[in-house]
Amino acid sequence: MLIYLRVWLKIPDAEAATVKNTLRRRMGYGAVLSDLGKERLWSIQVDDSVADPVDLARRLARELVNENKESYKASVDSVDFEKGFVPVRVGLSIEDGEAVSALNRLRNRLGFEVVRGVERSVVWKLSLQSRNPEKTAEEIAERLLINPHKDFYEIVS
Amino acid sequence: MKIAVIQFPGTNCEHETLVAARSAGLSGEIFRWNRPAEELSGFDGYIIPGGFSYQDRLRAGAIASKEPVMDALREEADGGKPIIGICNGFQILVESGLLPGLGGVDVALAQNVMVSKGEIVRRGFYCAWTTLRHEAPRERCSGSFLLEKGDIVRMPLAHAEGNLVTADEKLMERLNRENQVIFRYCDQQGHVEEEFPVNINGSRESIAGICNPEGNVLGLMPHPERSSFSWQLPPADPEKSVGDMNAPGPGRMIFESMKRYIEVRGC
Repeated sequence: MLIYLRVWLKIPDAEAATVKNTLRRRMGYGAVLSDLGKERLWSIQVDDSVADPVDLARRLARELVNENKESYKASVDSVDFEKGFVPVRVGLSIEDGEAVSALNRLRNRLGFEVVRGVERSVVWKLSLQSRNPEKTAEEIAERLLINPHKDFYEIVS
Repeated sequence: MKIAVIQFPGTNCEHETLVAARSAGLSGEIFRWNRPAEELSGFDGYIIPGGFSYQDRLRAGAIASKEPVMDALREEADGGKPIIGICNGFQILVESGLLPGLGGVDVALAQNVMVSKGEIVRRGFYCAWTTLRHEAPRERCSGSFLLEKGDIVRMPLAHAEGNLVTADEKLMERLNRENQVIFRYCDQQGHVEEEFPVNINGSRESIAGICNPEGNVLGLMPHPERSSFSWQLPPADPEKSVGDMNAPGPGRMIFESMKRYIEVRGC
């Protein structure tokens, strides 16, 4: 069973603003990129025997989300995004040390023994006014959002 | 000989880098990233110093690499002028494709992973003195122009993302064959080991610095400006000077090399 936590900042996201400015002002996407948002996505594999995954998701969020500055949305076994933007998920293709640390912390320090695996990625939400938004999103991912020697990306459909 | 030390928002080593360059006999100034890029052509060489350009947003060096000043630097590099990228400067050169300079983004500087006895013992930011072995022949590279193959240089490093990785399995062979590997981490006797603490960040083949095929662009993770004067050396170092504040430290050779490269090439 997979628990997904979509996490985003309630305060202004300076990194998203910088990426948006770079794409619009420096890389020629001023006419097609109308907005850009960013979320962190935790994909947490847990035992199938968990009776109340929604409650578990809430307890996991208490550890992984800082609700003073972040909001989150939990889902089980699938993750859905709203319409109006192209979600581009970027993660590490090499070992993700932070995800390994999070798994160890959840299992060994915080007692979440039902957690089997943790993946961490970033979802860039691109609002695009181009003829083929998915193709443009792929181009943006390859030109800026990833370094192909350590990152992967996928358009989340 | 006048050099420009490029300052991006978040760069934090520009002043000491300029002092180190001046101590080697270069003149120069700090060049803010948003000055007209064409003004760069008035300089004989360029240094991109360490720091956290754009707060390392997205990836270290990624945002700075898209600034117009980098296009201008690429033109100057194509003309043969020397460029040295230190730490974040190295990350910017990698993200801009100027290093290793094979036409695209050919490597990444990923998060440090310290491996000892086959196990990961630490990750992320690390700050320590390191020893580097010069791997290329003399005069191969602008920033190590005066160093012989096998020379040892001591300087400190401080970074979280200096672990050189590549998805191109043939790249390492090419870098070695073309003498583009300029520095490797080694112990104080000059022996290279694959594991921490000698290989301090898990970098592929213990690589600490590389150059482009032409040799005029060098990037390295350690900070030569932090060992340009012998008073900067750690207390136990026998070469540490306590009296002469201008006595050279090992890192000065990087800046003296750049100066000599400019003299010889007439940049």
